[in-house]
Amino acid sequence: MLILSDVTIKLAEKFLFQNFHASIDAGDVLCIMGPSGCGKSTLLDYLSGSLSPAFHASGELHLNNRELSRLPIEKRKVGILYQEALLFPHLTNLENLMFAIPDTIKGKRRQELALDKLAEFNLSDKAHSLPDLLSGGQKARIALLRTLLSEPEYLLLDEPFGKLDATLRESVRAFVLEQIQAAQLPTLLVTHDADDADAMGNKVIHLSI
Amino acid sequence: MKLQQVNFAIVASICAFILIGVVGIIAPAFHYLPAINAYTFSLTPWVTLFNTPEFVSSITLTLVSGLAATFISLMLAFAAVAAFHQSWILRFFQKSLAPILAVPHAAIAIGLLFLLSPSGWLIRLFTTFERPPNWITVQDPYTLSLILALVIKETPYLIFVILACLPQIKANESLNIGRSMGYHSAAIWQKILLPAIYPLIRLPIFIVLAFSLTVVDLALIIGPNTPSTFAVTVFRWFKDADLNERFVASSGAVFLMILVFLTFLLWECTYRLLSHFAKKFRTQGVRHPTLSKLYPWVGSLYFLLLFFVSLAGIILFIWSFAKRWRFPDIFPSRWSLANIERNGDLLLDLSGNTLFVAIVSTLLALAISIVVLEVKRINTLNTTFFDRLIYLPILLPQVGFLFGIQIFFIRIGFSGHLPAVITLHLFYVLPYVYLTLHGAYLAYNQNYFIQACALTQKPIRSFFQIKLAMLKAPIFSAFAIGFSVSIAQYLPTLVAGNGLISTLTTEAVTLASSGERKIVSLLALMQSIFPLIVFIFAIWLPKVWTPIRIHLKTRLSKPFPPTLSTKK
Repeated sequence: MLILSDVTIKLAEKFLFQNFHASIDAGDVLCIMGPSGCGKSTLLDYLSGSLSPAFHASGELHLNNRELSRLPIEKRKVGILYQEALLFPHLTNLENLMFAIPDTIKGKRRQELALDKLAEFNLSDKAHSLPDLLSGGQKARIALLRTLLSEPEYLLLDEPFGKLDATLRESVRAFVLEQIQAAQLPTLLVTHDADDADAMGNKVIHLSI
Repeated sequence: MKLQQVNFAIVASICAFILIGVVGIIAPAFHYLPAINAYTFSLTPWVTLFNTPEFVSSITLTLVSGLAATFISLMLAFAAVAAFHQSWILRFFQKSLAPILAVPHAAIAIGLLFLLSPSGWLIRLFTTFERPPNWITVQDPYTLSLILALVIKETPYLIFVILACLPQIKANESLNIGRSMGYHSAAIWQKILLPAIYPLIRLPIFIVLAFSLTVVDLALIIGPNTPSTFAVTVFRWFKDADLNERFVASSGAVFLMILVFLTFLLWECTYRLLSHFAKKFRTQGVRHPTLSKLYPWVGSLYFLLLFFVSLAGIILFIWSFAKRWRFPDIFPSRWSLANIERNGDLLLDLSGNTLFVAIVSTLLALAISIVVLEVKRINTLNTTFFDRLIYLPILLPQVGFLFGIQIFFIRIGFSGHLPAVITLHLFYVLPYVYLTLHGAYLAYNQNYFIQACALTQKPIRSFFQIKLAMLKAPIFSAFAIGFSVSIAQYLPTLVAGNGLISTLTTEAVTLASSGERKIVSLLALMQSIFPLIVFIFAIWLPKVWTPIRIHLKTRLSKPFPPTLSTKK
């Protein structure tokens, strides 16, 4: 379970969040909605550990009784998905996945694991091609696979369906939700789309400016 | 004349110019030079070239200094950006870039010469010698001082181009993703960001490599003498009073062109080979590479370069106002303005030429760039050729190409006049002005202009008052860069001026090894001050332009003050 308690974030003298509380169970999705500039992305940065030093943040962030708020991003075991898939363009799709696999898994096992995942999602034929050649939906799927392979303990989604067309959006959304529930990851989704919130969010919080 | 026709004339002129320069150097390389009645083609110049005693050693020095300077500059630039990305230190680096980029390389080399030489300031500051030691610290046979000067000049340029690429590769987001997977940021730079940046900065790297392999003025000041680097050797052959030396000089110049392109090939093959081996390393999942701690240390070496540049600037200033400065005194025992008073006429004359050529050539380059960019905006396909063509002046070795042009200039009676100097400066200023203006000009929201035309029905007025006025910041930046490029030109001035027209740069380089430190320092100082002033104005003016314009307008129309002033 991911618990935010008493979180206060301010920029200069302006409070973006004051004594904010929330909790997300394993496999659940907390959806944060609101207009641009309301602080959605700031909250996401706080949760990922990449909040700019210009902000002043206090409060606690617990994941299964582990305090995370003072840990740097690389020690939090967090998975992030942005609006853009951000697959590394000079690595093949297979290499993108292998990059994420923890180094405790060594040698040929790394490649086998990545290939297994691709096969599981019918993307084997894309293993050795570059991300540029993928469709929007395929990119989103591989980006999620890559994130999951890094074995995160919670997930942050920053409008990950924003660039997909309506049909694709629905199928990718279903795929992501399925994976979140299979991996039992507490997930925070930031969006301004009510359909995303309806389809995925167990709880929805509306922020205003 | 339509815009497209002007554009075609510009492209045709550049092509013709390049062709004349290349043919003008290839023909004498095969013993064909009508100017001295040599009409028979032969390979004699090549045989002479390969039998020249200093040929092999000159080539070796060129390759060592060129490759080492490019490699070290690239490593320093990568390490500095990777180590200090997202920190205040990088913002400090960014602020330091403009002044270093603005200072002509000859001035940096002269400053280093007076800093590092056995009687230089470093020895005076940090040792207790009573007499200058018998050390070879500059113009050394291993090209170390030349490499240092090149690294000082090229590292800031590479940092500048790397920083410009970061938004394109979404560096911040990639760092977040990599770090969320547990990677140390140094590992993400090594495995993800640097391989993604390299293809984007390949051309700037080649520009640095070509410059380092073919530079003449810098090597004349601080490079080795016996033997010298190959570009300097070729330059001396060209300058020889015996016109028969032109044959071997031309074959040498052609050989230098071939050498530059072979070095590009070698560099690229090495990169691809290393990249192939590094692929496996990228996907092994190692989160903390052993070299990660080295990045901040290597990156910090940039501070050392800044330290050298600062000391070089200070030493030029001190020498300019020194009356008596004996070794081992740290500072002059007497100061004076006599140096400026005594050389006042010369300085005025040189500054006048320098400023006139720089201003005219940069304004012309700006006008040409705007025409070409306007055509490119209307029809992208027509001008992609220009985008490739514009790199040729930077990549072609000056030492060969310019002497090919010189023959043509002499033949048409153009040599030795200011327009000839301006033409050659324009040829070298244009690529920098065009490339600086390119992104901002094409990103301009054309709807503003369309709206202005609809309102006024006067396209020319709208173009100047709306479009160019809105683009004043990039236009001023492009002007500052073009101006500093023109100020730094040595060979183009020498070749087109034919010894009759001198600028601060030609005089400073010529006198650099004369031992007249006071006048040389003064020339180098002035050569640096002009671009610095223009850079400061280029940053400051666009910010205050509109308030000043409104203020002036208010003052001029005082009887009927506009609404803006009454609101205040």
